[in-house]
Amino acid sequence: MRGYGTTLGLFEPGRGFLYRTPLPVKAAGSLAVVVAVVGWRSPAVVVVVLAFTGVTLAVGAHRSPARILRMLLPALPVLAVLALSQGLMTGGTRAFAVAGGIAACLLAARALTLTTPLPVLLDGVVRLVAPLERLGADPERFALTLSVMLRSIPYLAGSVLDLRAAARARGLERNPRVVGVPLVVGAVAYAPRTGEALAARGLGEHPEEE
Amino acid sequence: MLEFDGVGVRIDDGHPRVLLHPLTLSVPERRVSVIGANGSGKSTFLRLINGLREPTTGRVRVLGDDTRTAGRRVRRNVGFVFTDPLSQLVMPTGREDVELSLRTRRLPAREHRARAEEVLDRFGIAHLADRSIYDLSGGERQILAFAVVAAVEPRILVADEPTTLLDLGNGARIRRLIAGLDQQVLFTTHDLDLALDADRTLVVDDGRVVFDGDPGEAVARYRDLAAATCTTE
Amino acid sequence: MQPATTSRSGRSRERRRSRRRWDATDLSLIAVFAALIAALSILPGIPVGPLGVPITLQTLGVVLAGVVLGPGRGTAAVLLYLAAGLIGLPVFSGFSGGVGVLAGPSAGYLLGFPLAALLAGWLTTRSVARTGRFRAPVVFLACLIASLLTVHPLGVAGLLVNAGLDPVPALLVDAAYLPGDVVKNLLATVLGAAVHRAFPRLLPTGPRTGA
Repeated sequence: MRGYGTTLGLFEPGRGFLYRTPLPVKAAGSLAVVVAVVGWRSPAVVVVVLAFTGVTLAVGAHRSPARILRMLLPALPVLAVLALSQGLMTGGTRAFAVAGGIAACLLAARALTLTTPLPVLLDGVVRLVAPLERLGADPERFALTLSVMLRSIPYLAGSVLDLRAAARARGLERNPRVVGVPLVVGAVAYAPRTGEALAARGLGEHPEEE
Repeated sequence: MLEFDGVGVRIDDGHPRVLLHPLTLSVPERRVSVIGANGSGKSTFLRLINGLREPTTGRVRVLGDDTRTAGRRVRRNVGFVFTDPLSQLVMPTGREDVELSLRTRRLPAREHRARAEEVLDRFGIAHLADRSIYDLSGGERQILAFAVVAAVEPRILVADEPTTLLDLGNGARIRRLIAGLDQQVLFTTHDLDLALDADRTLVVDDGRVVFDGDPGEAVARYRDLAAATCTTE
Repeated sequence: MQPATTSRSGRSRERRRSRRRWDATDLSLIAVFAALIAALSILPGIPVGPLGVPITLQTLGVVLAGVVLGPGRGTAAVLLYLAAGLIGLPVFSGFSGGVGVLAGPSAGYLLGFPLAALLAGWLTTRSVARTGRFRAPVVFLACLIASLLTVHPLGVAGLLVNAGLDPVPALLVDAAYLPGDVVKNLLATVLGAAVHRAFPRLLPTGPRTGA
């Protein structure tokens, strides 16, 4: 489970036009899907948007319909409950519009992260926040912090599993403190080590120093 | 060339104590090992060299630059490799991490790619470039950590117990790697074979350099020290 | 598709801030707490109530960021977490991500998170600064006030707007989360106390002398 990072649903190499499409175009497309869903909230628009994202993923990233459906699997419980409750309260079409719309938004986001390598995505973020530089933001440091966050997720997920096993070995798995305290204390202890390693590499320094 | 001029480190975080007693020495040798017990001040000594820790008294100069006033230039000249590569590597794959190092050099993107490829190849890990760092063995990760640091071509390399987390075979790989580096290398270690791969060895005990000279004699001295600690307890 | 070369950050050199700027350790504390919130969100959540807004330990991470890091870094950690999710990384509960979540029923809760961290962090820091100690009952109250004043009102607003609920059902749905929240705030207090015992000088106002 230490390999959690590879299953974080990020970039997967492949072929298709989505891999060659510039990031700004993909981001704009993904945003357009959200705007369409939120803006109209009509079943007809949701059908169009859902078809658009599905076909784009199938043709643009060479993913089979089965694999596209599997991307929605983790969100399925929420979508199902949402559709069911809306169906009971307001009827089938409304249920479809809400659940289908959210599914389309999720797929659009997935199409972007699936076909964009992390460094390119980070560069995109840097460019996106660059206009904020005048307000005192530092895009480079922001991107660096974001990468440290992403690489820490597998570390923490791995340590949750280790700690749970250790708690079970002591017969204490029902006590949330036994996992929680070492997890959080460990996370706080881990941060300065990473910070020191960054400082040693000259990363994350203030541009105005010296 | 490193120069320590009356360098001492004290800290006061509620329990005031001395980490390193004032020390004056200059280090022109290409390979220098530092040995001593846990908590003896080895790591403090190394951290002084690239300005991660600033001296409370005296001055550390690296190629003429004072670590306190020219920290940025010092960190450019001094690469630092940590014991645990997982606290050092930031990106999910080796290639991305090497490219991250190169970012501080502000090169065009195309050059980043080529340089990263070249560095990974030189360290013999080009075939691992796109693997998740979590899928690498401990030895491969440590080699990657060296590659990442060497990518920006520092003139001095500092390594803090680079083989402590490794098995014998992987430890030997790191020894060969260190032997083949072009830079001046200073390292701390508990691996006495590695300690002998040096031109000069410092033995640190309780914040003081108690021996400075030939690696063979240094190791013998360190064994005596450790034996003495055992019997006094 | 050339990755941007980033020579332009040199321009900001003339900028000077009077306040203390975050160093690499602050940045990695922010990053690690953002990751902690993400890890707690990704762990299987339990969909609650008719709208299936999942109960996760996410809010525990949010409040904890404020209590442990203080208002500034705590809020930054939550904002970083939200930013990562909004650009499409699957860090929201149910492995979801993307701007699309702003169209979902839990949008209001997400927007309330940074405010909760800010308020919990500010109240905790005030209390520690004034008494010189981490007083668990005060901190627990701070967490409770923070989530009642920020996450819940915005969450209800999100349910009204995005899920098209009427006010009374929206309040009922929201109320389903209250017991869980009390427990999570209690846990945040216990964990926060443990962290501050292990790292007494973590909060900028810790009982330190000099400096």
